[in-house]
Amino acid sequence: MEDLLAYLHFVVLPQFIDALIIGVALALVALGLTMIFGLLDVINLAHGELYMLGGYAAFTLLGWGAGYWSALVLVPVLVGLVGWALEELGIRPLLPRADRAIVTLLFTFGVSLIFRDIAQVIWGTETRSVAAPLTGIANLAQVFVPIYRIFVFGAGVLAIAVTWWLVYRTQIGAVLRATAVDPSMVASFGIPIRLVYGFTFLYGCGLAGLAGVLLSPIYAVFPTMGHDFLVMAFAVVIVGGMGSIIGAVVAALLLAQVQGLASLWIPPVWAETLVYGVMLLVLVIRPAGLFNRLGEA
Amino acid sequence: MLQAQQQAQTTDIESRPAGTVAGRLLRAVRSGGSNSTLLRQIALVSLLLAAIFPLFGGSFFTRLAIEALLFGCIALSVDILLGYAGLLSLGQAAYFGLAAYVAALMYLHVTQSFWLVLLTASASVGVFSFLLGAVAIRAKGVYFALITFGVAEILSKITHNTRAIGGSDGLIGIPVPSIRLLPGLEIEFANNYVFYYLVLGTVCLLYLGTRRILNTAFGSVLRAIRDNSDRVPYLGYNPFWYKLLAYVMAAQIAAFGGLIYPLLRGFVAPHLFGFEVSTKAVVMSLVGGVGTLIGPLMGSVIITFLESVVGSYTERHLILLGIIFIVFVMFLPDGLCGLAQRTFGAGRKVKP
Repeated sequence: MEDLLAYLHFVVLPQFIDALIIGVALALVALGLTMIFGLLDVINLAHGELYMLGGYAAFTLLGWGAGYWSALVLVPVLVGLVGWALEELGIRPLLPRADRAIVTLLFTFGVSLIFRDIAQVIWGTETRSVAAPLTGIANLAQVFVPIYRIFVFGAGVLAIAVTWWLVYRTQIGAVLRATAVDPSMVASFGIPIRLVYGFTFLYGCGLAGLAGVLLSPIYAVFPTMGHDFLVMAFAVVIVGGMGSIIGAVVAALLLAQVQGLASLWIPPVWAETLVYGVMLLVLVIRPAGLFNRLGEA
Repeated sequence: MLQAQQQAQTTDIESRPAGTVAGRLLRAVRSGGSNSTLLRQIALVSLLLAAIFPLFGGSFFTRLAIEALLFGCIALSVDILLGYAGLLSLGQAAYFGLAAYVAALMYLHVTQSFWLVLLTASASVGVFSFLLGAVAIRAKGVYFALITFGVAEILSKITHNTRAIGGSDGLIGIPVPSIRLLPGLEIEFANNYVFYYLVLGTVCLLYLGTRRILNTAFGSVLRAIRDNSDRVPYLGYNPFWYKLLAYVMAAQIAAFGGLIYPLLRGFVAPHLFGFEVSTKAVVMSLVGGVGTLIGPLMGSVIITFLESVVGSYTERHLILLGIIFIVFVMFLPDGLCGLAQRTFGAGRKVKP
């Protein structure tokens, strides 16, 4: 019995805490993906590259002598603006097409290829590390967790809470939810749909940028980081339900635990495969995911 | 008088109850006849160019052309699904990779007989595509794309992580067998020209066969499903089986490319299953023209050669691929064949 407790305390619990932090960061990326899909029917394959851009932007700003805290504020805004430009220049002209889900998916895939290559041209292929602004290790009941990771967890939870408040408790959120249900009805009330779509991209991509800055001191920055993370974020959005805010958060925490805890007993590479297995199972049983789409709840 | 005749014709068409569905669909296909004439001309010209290509190409470019034809098979299979059944598959490389691995393992450990390998690879792809198709086709719209994407990703991960089949290094040193066509007639893959014409001939047969099949009532029903999936059941057709059949057929075509690939390069690796190969196949059919069948093959030749040429100057050829992708999605959604039709075909509609 004591052995079991010790095992849970010293083996399972640290893994659980680690997975919790990854889950929160994953939720930030997945939230942007799911909001963009919920409102515009667009699957943004460039989302992972925007996350990557967040990491590189932080690396560059810090290299120029900016402080980490100013980068934390500045980078999400910059990445958000890039996302907005994408929507304004590329997505909007494609929206009137009948096969918009397919053409926008292809468009954003093209963008992701370009971004990934441009990143390699500017920053090279090697891994770049970003120094954590907080050092030191906290002792949480004999489990040692770096303070920076605790900060990432707190910041992530705060961003998720702000997003929830924005979508479900403000006037802007009411407009967003209404647009997800019926854009033309919303437009007929005199609300500029154009701005609503632009804001969705700005905010969603900003979240991806935020995740990029937050995770850069933990995982370092490299050109394919976006692709690897996006596949995971996709699994999250599919399991949670495309276009569902709550689903994205719940599924992110859940899948991060599946991967984290499973890698205690099976090789980590197989744990990742297991996550896709779960995704596939959900797709087969409930193709629309576990939760309802934005505006349908 | 003329008016009366027209009226008579209209009522004739509208009042014929028996076989009207198939009849109308077939007529709709025939009305696009001049289109297919142009496509046929494009196909003929490309075949002629392909036939004389090895005379100028040299062995490097001849082998590159073989690779282009093999990847063209994936593009062709993407086109069958996207252009005819309205299904976007983001995981078509799964069948290419599956066939390539089955073939490689058979050659390495079991047999040197090409026909036996062909049979095994084709059967395994057939079973796999039937099962996956039965699951994926029930999901609507983008979910189909996501399921196919997910499965290809899983296959790629599994091969990447399984040491027994080479892990991330893949399988190397695959022997190149000779094919016994008839007793006494053996074909050597070692000779580039023999290899090239054999692949070219087979891809031509695949193209012609696919065109033939899609010009039957089966193809017409597929197009009807593409245009309005909800109405087709009212006409007495079950879209599910038509889509599934198209899916299994497309998988077989992609599998042919995968079957030959290890003979060309002598190795297989997990990236053959990967997202890059799947999406490149989508770009190829987009560049050539979705729904034209010949377009994807042309697109494959163009992209493969562009990548190879640009790749010899810079490693950053993905930028080029991305730009091509965006330009075609935004400005030339009907591809080069569509452009040719608008230029030479006096403003006719593009899709068959």
